[in-house]
Amino acid sequence: MITLAAVVAYSWYITIQIAGLRNLQNNLTDRSRRDSLQLLRIQNDLNSLAVAMRDMLDNDEPYPLTAWSAQFQRIRSDLDDALRLEEQLAVTSRTQEQKEYLASSLAQFWDAAERIFALASDGKDKDARDRIRLSLQARQAALSTAVARLLVQNNEREEQAALQVAQIYDRVERQVYLFFTATLVAILLTSLYLIRSNRRLFTQLASLSNLRSELAQQLISTQESTLRYISRELHDEFGQILTAIGSMLGRSEKHVPEGSPLRAELHEIRDIAQTTLDNVRSLSQALHPVMLDEAGLESTIDWYLPVVEKQTGIVISYEKSGAAFPMNGSAAIYTYRILQEALNNVARHAGVQQAWIRLRFLPDTLEMEVEDHGKGFAAPPSKPGIGLVAMRERAQLLGGSIELLRPPDGGTLVRLKVPREKAESNAREEPQ
Amino acid sequence: MKRRFFLQSLAGFASFPAPGVSEILAGVSPQSPALGFRLADVTSAAGIQFKHNSGAYGGKLLPETLGSGCAFLDYDADGWLDVLLINGRDWPGHKRMRSTLRLYRNNRNGTFTDVTRPAGLDIEMYGMGVAVGDYNNDGFPDILVTCIGQNHLFKNTGKGRFIDVTRASGLAGRSAFSTSALWLDYDRDGFLDLFVCNYVKWSPERDVFCSLDGKHKSYCTPEAYRGETCWLFHNRGDGTFEDVTAKCGIFDSSSKSLGVTLLDDDQDDWPDLLVANDTQPNKLYRNQRNGTFKDVAVEAGIAFSTEGKARAGMGVDVADFDNSGSFGVAITNFDNEMIGLYRSTGRGNFEDVAVPAGVGLISRNTLGFGCVFFDADLDGALDLAVANGHIDETVRNIRGNVGYAQPPQLFLNNGKGVFHNVADALGAEFAHAKVGRGLAYGDFDRDGDLDLLLTTNNGPAFLFRNDQLAGNRSIRFRLVGTKSNRDAIGSLVRIYSGALVQSRIVKTGSSYLSQSELPLTFGLGKRDMVERVVIQWPSGRTEEYKGLAAGRTYECLEGKGITPQDGF
Repeated sequence: MITLAAVVAYSWYITIQIAGLRNLQNNLTDRSRRDSLQLLRIQNDLNSLAVAMRDMLDNDEPYPLTAWSAQFQRIRSDLDDALRLEEQLAVTSRTQEQKEYLASSLAQFWDAAERIFALASDGKDKDARDRIRLSLQARQAALSTAVARLLVQNNEREEQAALQVAQIYDRVERQVYLFFTATLVAILLTSLYLIRSNRRLFTQLASLSNLRSELAQQLISTQESTLRYISRELHDEFGQILTAIGSMLGRSEKHVPEGSPLRAELHEIRDIAQTTLDNVRSLSQALHPVMLDEAGLESTIDWYLPVVEKQTGIVISYEKSGAAFPMNGSAAIYTYRILQEALNNVARHAGVQQAWIRLRFLPDTLEMEVEDHGKGFAAPPSKPGIGLVAMRERAQLLGGSIELLRPPDGGTLVRLKVPREKAESNAREEPQ
Repeated sequence: MKRRFFLQSLAGFASFPAPGVSEILAGVSPQSPALGFRLADVTSAAGIQFKHNSGAYGGKLLPETLGSGCAFLDYDADGWLDVLLINGRDWPGHKRMRSTLRLYRNNRNGTFTDVTRPAGLDIEMYGMGVAVGDYNNDGFPDILVTCIGQNHLFKNTGKGRFIDVTRASGLAGRSAFSTSALWLDYDRDGFLDLFVCNYVKWSPERDVFCSLDGKHKSYCTPEAYRGETCWLFHNRGDGTFEDVTAKCGIFDSSSKSLGVTLLDDDQDDWPDLLVANDTQPNKLYRNQRNGTFKDVAVEAGIAFSTEGKARAGMGVDVADFDNSGSFGVAITNFDNEMIGLYRSTGRGNFEDVAVPAGVGLISRNTLGFGCVFFDADLDGALDLAVANGHIDETVRNIRGNVGYAQPPQLFLNNGKGVFHNVADALGAEFAHAKVGRGLAYGDFDRDGDLDLLLTTNNGPAFLFRNDQLAGNRSIRFRLVGTKSNRDAIGSLVRIYSGALVQSRIVKTGSSYLSQSELPLTFGLGKRDMVERVVIQWPSGRTEEYKGLAAGRTYECLEGKGITPQDGF
């Protein structure tokens, strides 16, 4: 905007300068030149008169002096025309004295010429020639000098005008350089400002992103530790209590005679306790499989997949390859959670009853794929669900990446890649 | 494409071939029938063996490079055009040969016989130009030869001989550097008066040393010399002349005149004069109808070039080249100055249309001398022929693109005021480079078209016979004055043939140092009839004739009617 304004202002300035220059050239230079041309024409006429007078004095023509009368008249006619034009064009401020001198000199010249031709008409050629020699030639010379002076003045004026024009050109040139410098500085400052602003924005964005990531990771960690705690409590506390209740009810049942209603009620209570115990254990396992901590990811998956098949009716083809490396601790739980979420999505959104799980232990990477040939994504979700966000955050916590792809046969392919180094280091950490 | 348009296109192509095409045509056939005519060099066949003697011996005297002229005239009044070639001579102290002008009588069979001696013209003089006119109205043309020194007036006795009447006529006792001249009846008293151009005040004693390289002498430009007034001699009617130069207003000691032509600039039926000056403004002397003239060249726009510069005018001719009824002017100039082609804009003013008319740019590298308007192809539009040649044989050392010998030019008029040089298409005979000077036209073989006579400086003369190939027709008028001067000089003839209206003026002089025939030739294309002819005689009488058949010459006797001849 600033640059645009500068260009507009500068264009206006240049237009004014050029108009001024044109005006000056038109009014001074061109006019002065045309004036000089008219002065040269006058000078030429005066020279023609001088040549004619020389011819008249040479007396080598078989004609009387009156023969030159027509020639004088022609020159006078042209001279008058040239003087009239010159007066219109004259830019040099002539003094009144100069004007009067020129007018009176011309009048005197023509007056003398007429008198000379009158003498010649009377046959007094000798007297006429004497007058030419004594008077007319001197008057012509004086006129010629006066016109030459005017020409010099005009030339000086032209030089001044040329100087003025040159100064204007210099000024314009200076202004052009100034404008270019100012424009460059403005562009430089604007660029610097923009770079700095962008950098600040990027920093803020990065900071916010880190905060959000930290928050998400903190949330996941908290969630995991909470679920683990609850799972443990359920397993250890409520499981023990319910086991104790079951044992106690078994013993009490033995003290009641067979066939009595009480024995039957105690047995029923013991079954309920056992069922509750099983449920508690299942819940505990679902919240945080103890197996992860005890047997690692591979075994947990081996256990988990039949459970999912049983719960959802989805037939899962599980394929495992590569030399396994230890995956437990936080690495295991995060990987397990991603698998859980991916299969949960298959069950809830894919609309198919078959899925493929591939676990590849590559030399530097653990790669896990969950693929279905269901509905897939119509388009990348503009606002991803919490499940997807959680998967991505967990992958980041693992130092890996997660991709959502479309397999050639349609559906969805979720691919998790975790660097081995990260997987192993995470394996030594426990989620807080 | 309609057939008519197609045929017109073909005709246009034939008339104005592009440069490349014309070269091809010239290569295939020396003189292409596509032009509708050819100019055959018949000089040798006609028995004309002439070589101009400039007298050049190395002294580089100014007149050497400027001569000389030629004329078509019928000196024996037998109806067949004879040829007059002006010659120079050796300078005093450098005598090598005897050289005189040459008069060739027409044998009426395409050949000529040199009759210089029996005609009494075997006189040595440094001749420059020629003007032919019957100043004593005896029916036989008299000859004025302009010279370096004393001019000569030869009276025709009517018996095949001429008598030098310079002294008897009152023209003796004048020494000058005379160039072109013409006869006119400026006061319309029935007797031809004489106008003579003078160049500069020069004589061998006054010769100035000029040099291009600072070592060797070269021909001076006219700036090195003082001007010289033209002369006007009034014919008293008794065989003598009175010098009226001073009292008629013609006197101008600054003039450096080379060409002169007659015209009626303001169409008041009084003859005016146009003088081409070298490095000085051209002069247009308008007849004031009271025995005086007034120079109006500046007001008329013909004194200077469009840039306001006085050019080096050489030859000049006037004609109604655009068939507008107003007469235009052609003035040949120095190289780098272009031909001046002036079209009349009415009210006696002129406009230089050389560039838009197509003769300007092409003539920038030529130095033109003789120039004549004539209808080469008889299509009803006047064409322009120009003789070119430089004055300095070393010019190519200074200006590489300008040569000493230069091809003549023939500008064909397309009828719309645009000209195209077809010299190349006419073949090498015409187009080869020459140091051209004089140029005149005339129908020497009486076939109804106009042949050309061209002279060169210190070289041969050329007679080009015009042969029509397209079947175009013409009509010719030979005017004889009774109350007017017998040659009817100054008469205006206008013919009407359908939409075609053409005007010609009977005049002497024109071109450069030369004179064309006096009879008027009108090209008619394929027309075979002229509906109307109007003749304005110098006496003021106007005559009108109707229904004239093409293909013949008509003799018009002022006040007595018109008589068709058998053929031309």
